Amino acid sequence: MESPRLQVAGIAFTAVLAAVGAAAVVGGLGYGAVDDAGLVGPGFMPIFAGGLMLIFALIDIMQRVRHTVVANRDAKLALDTSSFEALEHELEDETKLDVDIFGRSQRFRNRQLVAVIGILVVTLLLVNVLGFILAFGLMLVAIAVLVERRAWLSSVIVSVVALAAAYLIFGVFLRVPLPQGLLGIL
Amino acid sequence: MIDNLLLGFQTALTPENLLWCFIGVLMGTIIGLMPGLGSTTGVAILIPLTLTLEPVTALIMLAGIYYGAQYGGTITSVLISTPGEAASVVTTLDGYQMARKGRAGAALAISAIGSFVAAIISLALLMALAPPLADLALNFGPVENLAIMILGLVIVVSFAGGSMARGLMMAAAGLLISTVGVATGFSDARFTFGNIDLLGGIPFVEVMIGIFAVGEVLYQIRIGAAEPIKARFRDMLITKDELKRSAGPIVRGSGIGFALGILPGAGSTLASFMSYGIEKKVSKNRRLFGKGAIEGVAAPESANNAAANANFVPTLALGIPGGGTTAVLLGAFTIYGLQPGPLLFETQPTLVWGLLVSFFIGNVLLLILNLPLAPVFAQMLRIPYGFLYPIILLTSFIGAYAVSNNMFSVVLVLIFGLLGYVMKELDMPVAPLVLGLVLGPLFEKALVQTSALGQGDFSIMLESPISVVILALALLMGVGPMLLGRLRVARRSRRSVTESEKVDV
Repeated sequence: MESPRLQVAGIAFTAVLAAVGAAAVVGGLGYGAVDDAGLVGPGFMPIFAGGLMLIFALIDIMQRVRHTVVANRDAKLALDTSSFEALEHELEDETKLDVDIFGRSQRFRNRQLVAVIGILVVTLLLVNVLGFILAFGLMLVAIAVLVERRAWLSSVIVSVVALAAAYLIFGVFLRVPLPQGLLGIL
Repeated sequence: MIDNLLLGFQTALTPENLLWCFIGVLMGTIIGLMPGLGSTTGVAILIPLTLTLEPVTALIMLAGIYYGAQYGGTITSVLISTPGEAASVVTTLDGYQMARKGRAGAALAISAIGSFVAAIISLALLMALAPPLADLALNFGPVENLAIMILGLVIVVSFAGGSMARGLMMAAAGLLISTVGVATGFSDARFTFGNIDLLGGIPFVEVMIGIFAVGEVLYQIRIGAAEPIKARFRDMLITKDELKRSAGPIVRGSGIGFALGILPGAGSTLASFMSYGIEKKVSKNRRLFGKGAIEGVAAPESANNAAANANFVPTLALGIPGGGTTAVLLGAFTIYGLQPGPLLFETQPTLVWGLLVSFFIGNVLLLILNLPLAPVFAQMLRIPYGFLYPIILLTSFIGAYAVSNNMFSVVLVLIFGLLGYVMKELDMPVAPLVLGLVLGPLFEKALVQTSALGQGDFSIMLESPISVVILALALLMGVGPMLLGRLRVARRSRRSVTESEKVDV
């Protein structure tokens, strides 16, 4: 069963898509749906796609709101070819055990997720300064030490090996000109 | 036909292609095995590695990853009840139950055998069907192409599973993303907001890597991991009785898988669900389903493999991807400067037939690899995800950079990674978005050309008999499932009022 917070998030996400769809229609009208000769113009696809997005996002919001109301009387459905959704929910419930094999709680894993996203953003910003290889090297160490709580030494060793392999494959073998950043070392 | 096969064998059996085929299926098995690493992700992040290879060699390897992953995905489903591949989701139901009863080896063996039989049947059908279809498609003009695009979009949406509105919404989002940049046929730059990097549009390899690799990693971090069940070599032996029980499901699964896989947009996931559902209805042992019935492993595993091969029919003959992974493969074609579509069979016979024959070889290799070695592969499940995902992230970003030599791609991967994570968390179907993105430019081109042909009047679509047939099929596909659903709801609500919820698929 979806948590109430997820349900609200779902409605909010769909609302954003509806807004994007509406904006695309407006933008498309600006580009022109049909040209002077009455042929399909550059605005046609944006209007078509944006319009579809808007319509179905609104339908989805309506369904979600209705679903939230009736959600509580949800009986387990026998599997048949049309009830994929029920099946998937069943499977999800099984995998969404609260504590995983490392004894980590859901809350701890949520914090890990936020940390990884933060590290990724910082890494991309650092590429301009440190260069690609060094920035992503830091990313590997940061995830190992800060997120996965592994020992410094082994984290650094594993990261260096992974990075060396990536550098050899992409930088040397495929000759990809990886950005060197301001430092210009690697 | 014989000539073509000979040509194919000549191409596929060179030492280099044989080696890369082996590497492809081996990596595919491992990729399919890793929870959170599926065939779409695997192909997307490994495309950059194939840039220096010959196109045919590269495609042989990438395709090997695709069908190899169908074998590997089973291992995780059976041993840790976590599907390594979306197409192996149903296998967890009976596969994991078999494993808990000490029949993990038999479950793995029957799925390898079923997959192999399905692969051979579907390959023969693929080779027989694709060339005439391509021949037919050579006569297609913009009108017929537009009709096919419409059919493709309708199928994507109606088979996406889950809510129809959500599927349509995501397909439309994909179409919309595809309009960014300067479109062919127009001089206007759309939705670029003055950003030079966006002029060329949003390249879909980056979108795929973002959604399928980075998004999946983020999702897995939040889910956590389950304990693997050990499978030993001697458990791999299956009994005569088990083989006999599986024969029917394997043949039926292959048929269903091929029939569904051939439709543009319907993937192997649907095929596996379908065949499981049908076996559950027709099997003598139907009450054992969900408690470790071998039929419940044999049928979906055959179906998903047959569908994976059948997916290549529309991909190769029409240039319309059959599913998510073939959409990425289609992207690989264009990176090598090949235009997938009906002309491919005439202009690149070596490539097409070499690729098709390599499927035969690859599946033989997979059977040899999987029958005795499944327990060995299963050892990889011991690698903690904590070691794995930083490397997946590194490969994703560096790979995206390698394809375009542009930091903007790397930023796109992160953006679409976050989007992919949110979509998974909120249960939004991903496949329609991807197919919308791939079909978008083709759709628009057909649209513009058709409008030019008809001088703005689209009724010329009703003047071509082929297009009328395709449109009728599209209508049937679009409305059919909905009507069936309604019927079923009506019947069920007559039986019991409380169960009628949720069938509005």
